[in-house]
Amino acid sequence: MSSRPPRIAEVTVALLLPPACREEVLGDLQERCKSPMQYVADALSTVPFVVISRIRRTADPQVLLIQASVLYLSFIAAAWLRDPTLLGQRRGLLRLAIPVVMAIAGLILDDAYAKPGPRPAITPARGPLLGLLVALVSQEALWMKKPDWALPHWVAIYGCVIGLLLSSGIRMLFPPISSQLLGIKVPVAWLQQAGASSESLSRLNRILKPVAGVVALAAAVAWAAENSISPRHLVLILLAVLLIAGEVSRRV
Amino acid sequence: MAASDSLGQFEQLVLTAILALREEAYGVTIHSKVQELAGPKAVSLGAVYVTLDRLEDKGLIASWLSDPTPERGGRAKRYYRLEALGERALQESAATAKRIWDVITEVWGKQWARQWGKRWRKEAG
Repeated sequence: MSSRPPRIAEVTVALLLPPACREEVLGDLQERCKSPMQYVADALSTVPFVVISRIRRTADPQVLLIQASVLYLSFIAAAWLRDPTLLGQRRGLLRLAIPVVMAIAGLILDDAYAKPGPRPAITPARGPLLGLLVALVSQEALWMKKPDWALPHWVAIYGCVIGLLLSSGIRMLFPPISSQLLGIKVPVAWLQQAGASSESLSRLNRILKPVAGVVALAAAVAWAAENSISPRHLVLILLAVLLIAGEVSRRV
Repeated sequence: MAASDSLGQFEQLVLTAILALREEAYGVTIHSKVQELAGPKAVSLGAVYVTLDRLEDKGLIASWLSDPTPERGGRAKRYYRLEALGERALQESAATAKRIWDVITEVWGKQWARQWGKRWRKEAG
């Protein structure tokens, strides 16, 4: 005999599941539910597999490698611009790799948790924004816990800004797998594209928004540099800008 | 199908389950059928989802969402069906299994094969 799953467990599972497979997996778990404990056990043994499978389907190793190289070069360029001694230090290059790894993790999760269907034009900037936000948060955590491993503030900020520009460009050249035409979905994708052609004006609007976001970010950095704002305050301002831009891109 | 795309044992089980279930192949029913086919071994629902995704990526099966059903809290089911490539892959697997069986009976003898036959009939009830 089936029973209703506990509400809190159901909401948690819904949050953890990628939107592309949320509907059917939640339905299957509910259909199998015989008791609250059994539901939780079922969810625990199902959700990790579903998330890993979704990551496998949406992550393109070759493009991720290009992204990682570009981001690493961005942070090396930032170090060269702001603190060249970092490049010669022991563990200097390793420290520069930490935000890259965090940003790539953010990119992978953004792809896996993207909503199915055609993506808005702002998408190229959304993944890198999220990834670099994760990188900045990880740097903030390192500054507090293990400052030896954290990058100097200005290097982290410059690296994120350069990385955002270059990484967004890579995303435009190599769109995420879920946005490309694949196998059986091809005719549907063509139909969707044909239907969307009349909305070119609103699409142009959507392209202008990330450009405006990047310009705002660059302006904030330039203003802070002119007015000698402390790096810690600047990180907070940039985090706020990134958060707002991320939220706007999610809702467009 | 290329040699590199050959089916694993679990993939064969999932394809067989979809074939057997015909119009009623979705997550829960496929899992039950695979569990039945796998015998005493426990099979997790997550492993079935992973395999379904992989088979769909290989072009062996296709899926679509049904209308929402009230018994599942208004949620849709994702149904699966075999594609022509999947049917061919399953036929190749069955032919390979038959060749293995023929060699085993030839080497270990008809008596052994009869014993196994009895055991399988018993398990099937």
